Amino acid sequence: MPDFSLSPEQESLRDMARKFARTEMAPHAAECDKAGRFPEEIYRKAHGLGLMNLNVPTDFGGSGLSVLEQCLIVEELAYACGGMTTSIIANCLALEPILLGATDEQKHRVLDPFCADYHLASFCLTEPSGGSDAGGLKTRARRDGDHYVLDGEKCFITNAPHASLYTVFATLDPALKHRGITAFFVPRTAEGLTPGKDEEKMGHRASSTSTVRFERVRVPVADRLGAEGEGFSLAMRTLDMTRTPIGALATGIAQAALDHAAGYALKRETFGKPIAEHQAIQIKLANMAQAVHAARLLTWQAAWTIDRGAKGTLESSIAKCFASDAALLVADEAIQTFGGYGYMKEYPVEKLLRDAKLTQIYEGANEIQRTVIARELLRAYA
Amino acid sequence: MEIVVCVKPVPEAETRLRVRPDGKGLDPEGVKFVLAGYDESALEQALLLKEAVAGSRVHAIACGPAPRSEEVLRASIALGADQATWVEAAAETADDPIAVARTLAGAIRAVPHDLVLSGKQAGDHEEGLVGAALGEFLGVPDFGAVLDLRFDPGSARLRFRRATESGQELWESPLPCVVALQQAWNDPRTAKLPAILKSRKAPIARVPPIAPEGAQAVTERFELPAPRSGAKMIEFQTPEEAAQKLVRLLREEAKVFP
Amino acid sequence: MSPTVLVVGELHEGHALPSTVETIGVARTLAGTPAEVVVLLVGSHARSAAPELGNAGVSRVLVDEDARLDTAPVAAIAVVAAAAAQSLEVDLVLVGGTAFGRDLTGRLAARWNATAASGATEIQRDGSAFRVRRPVFGGRATETVRLSGPRSVVSLRPHAFQPPPASPTNPAVEPAPKVEIPAGLLAPRRTGIEPVASGLGPSLTDASIVVSGGRGLRAPENFHLVEELATALGAAVGASRAVTDAGWRPTSLQVGQTGRAVSPQLYIAVGISGAIQHLVGMVSSRVIVAINSDGSAPIFKVADYGIVGDLFQIVPALTQEVRRARGT
Repeated sequence: MPDFSLSPEQESLRDMARKFARTEMAPHAAECDKAGRFPEEIYRKAHGLGLMNLNVPTDFGGSGLSVLEQCLIVEELAYACGGMTTSIIANCLALEPILLGATDEQKHRVLDPFCADYHLASFCLTEPSGGSDAGGLKTRARRDGDHYVLDGEKCFITNAPHASLYTVFATLDPALKHRGITAFFVPRTAEGLTPGKDEEKMGHRASSTSTVRFERVRVPVADRLGAEGEGFSLAMRTLDMTRTPIGALATGIAQAALDHAAGYALKRETFGKPIAEHQAIQIKLANMAQAVHAARLLTWQAAWTIDRGAKGTLESSIAKCFASDAALLVADEAIQTFGGYGYMKEYPVEKLLRDAKLTQIYEGANEIQRTVIARELLRAYA
Repeated sequence: MEIVVCVKPVPEAETRLRVRPDGKGLDPEGVKFVLAGYDESALEQALLLKEAVAGSRVHAIACGPAPRSEEVLRASIALGADQATWVEAAAETADDPIAVARTLAGAIRAVPHDLVLSGKQAGDHEEGLVGAALGEFLGVPDFGAVLDLRFDPGSARLRFRRATESGQELWESPLPCVVALQQAWNDPRTAKLPAILKSRKAPIARVPPIAPEGAQAVTERFELPAPRSGAKMIEFQTPEEAAQKLVRLLREEAKVFP
Repeated sequence: MSPTVLVVGELHEGHALPSTVETIGVARTLAGTPAEVVVLLVGSHARSAAPELGNAGVSRVLVDEDARLDTAPVAAIAVVAAAAAQSLEVDLVLVGGTAFGRDLTGRLAARWNATAASGATEIQRDGSAFRVRRPVFGGRATETVRLSGPRSVVSLRPHAFQPPPASPTNPAVEPAPKVEIPAGLLAPRRTGIEPVASGLGPSLTDASIVVSGGRGLRAPENFHLVEELATALGAAVGASRAVTDAGWRPTSLQVGQTGRAVSPQLYIAVGISGAIQHLVGMVSSRVIVAINSDGSAPIFKVADYGIVGDLFQIVPALTQEVRRARGT
């Protein structure tokens, strides 16, 4: 029989993340959202406490957590602020290709110093002409002696203006389509690498996002990840690992929205009683609770599947897709529960809708998730 | 310096209080137990002294039921305590401060102790009696509501302040002694994730429980205030009359007048 | 077991503290007769302070004039108190619940092999036992504890009891039983006292009393009314969001959903209507008083006591009355 309870160890991790989220992140969430401020001091604290680089094994200075443990932490952080969480876990996304494709020598060379101090990293796959169509990316990598030269532009890259390390996917030859794609890690100091200016976003405003331009950036062969042409596979396997924690991020946002709505419904009175006693609100709250519970359990099950060694593509796609849709639904209904107050920026719920929206788009848009789910599903019937 | 810190698990501050079915205490169902607030300060102060005085060790001790006592001991280890001891006691015993002090004294006598620290009071019953009783059972001086605790290695004496109604008293005392702490030099530190994971596997010494002896303080009833039913509106002819009536009500009826 | 009750008194600058006087009042109701209340005073001012206890109806005062006790730790005083309790064969020792009283309670109970409780707001005899009521969980709940004798030490929550009715007597002053104080308890020394600086109120989240002002004050220059009342009460000052948004006071004072949540013993809301986002920040306060000119303001739904009137008249009158009642 499945055991849905958390071990005391898992509970300690969750409690620690919750405490950090509620005392360090939550008090600044509204202010960072309003100003679009990147709270570096909070990210530094997170790093100091071991809340960054969660997926990196302890051998290389990370926290070495399982996917389920990462999800427990990510949900707590996202409960306080989705944007800050995105920047914190962007490191995991950027470092995963290194974990999957690098040699031990490369891992120690890059990860040991990276994890020892506060550093941010960026995962550079998306381009102006293609996000979901990753296989069609255009950034070129040309071999030149013992270097590759990268030319191109990436966009919507989390942490780019502040990162010290970039994991970049470029193609040796567009004609090879996805089989030409090769992965590299590039330091901020590389000449010709230019992050753009921070974009003004709808939500996740405490996170920083920009383009990254590569103009004749020279990357040593020793900094290539895996073999030539292995990049697309590395990117897909990376997303297999990082998709599930996004489900947890969305769940955290949804839980926050539910808690706000339920708390408000118990206090606000109309027609002589708390609105929680009106059936219209009860039905809303019930739908919201169902969505949150399901999102969490799907996320946990996907995490458990991957932690047991399976690829978990179907489970993680379902979890990410469902949880992000749930976050949007719950945030929307939370605003509706607050009525006119919900529409005011003074109240915390409209931010949750703006933050929820991104979870349907990034780390694999939900349309793509659905095609992946269909493909995985139909494979079983073939 | 061998520093013993007495820690107590208490319901976390945001707990929604519910009365047990027998009406005699808090319903522990679903309650999360954490390190008492002032105990966090005591542990922080112990760790700061350990860092300031070479060769010092911090030993956390808890007296109470499982699993909450073990949890706060692990939390203490995650923060930096060198070792932990758990004296198992039923929740009812843990409710009687003199019985707790007697039990803790038994465990502390068996280990090296130059300085015994506890929080000034715990966030649940808030009696604030254990530190003083512990001092008596150990036969050493005790001090309550202490701030700004310093150790002067030259004279091997503690220097500190005590918060009282009329101001702050300045004190000095030789070791050993018991200090019930109100405030550490810093805000309590946060345990880092790797330390938390390590603390789960750390050994915790167990001391057999001592049967309670002597009279016990027994909680007979635990009550929550009646839900608010709207304000008692004060009738008055003059502002002075309103003021007098309010002060009288606050003093005699509500019993909150300072 | 004699029906005598021993009260351990606390002196400050040669005079008994108000908490000691309140404790005497309670002792009088618990002793066999009011005449059977004995007060113990220690230190170099003990004998000179004894006569004023006559105003509280005390007829017997024990004094230990050892000057060392002026600066000795509470532990040393507990030795004297235990000897006195033993020789009087009392079943109850009472003390005011100040910092001194609390420490004494724990120490004395351990030394004298008694049960103890601190911060009592009610105390009654129950046969040979005592029943004590006390606030717990930051005042959010109350417990009733049975101290099943034969000896009990209880500290009383300050300001929870009325001072005793005046019944002036001339107390007999006797030396307390002679007792050897262990050298170890006299080694610690109090080296100084720094009196409390007036005008420095407690912090908002720690305070046991908070006085908050809202838009009903009409203009920033009127906020001093709230501050004066707070000072008179020894309270912290809070503000509604309307006030902090308007810049009348810094946001660090804001009580409410987006500001600080507080749960003091007493919360006085002045000119605050009670918008839900403010209520959320203070509704768990133990006692809430609302002063507002609008009788239908939502704040009155959560308040325990309400005054509908002109705050510009009520608040100064209240400040005056508080000062008078506190004797300041």
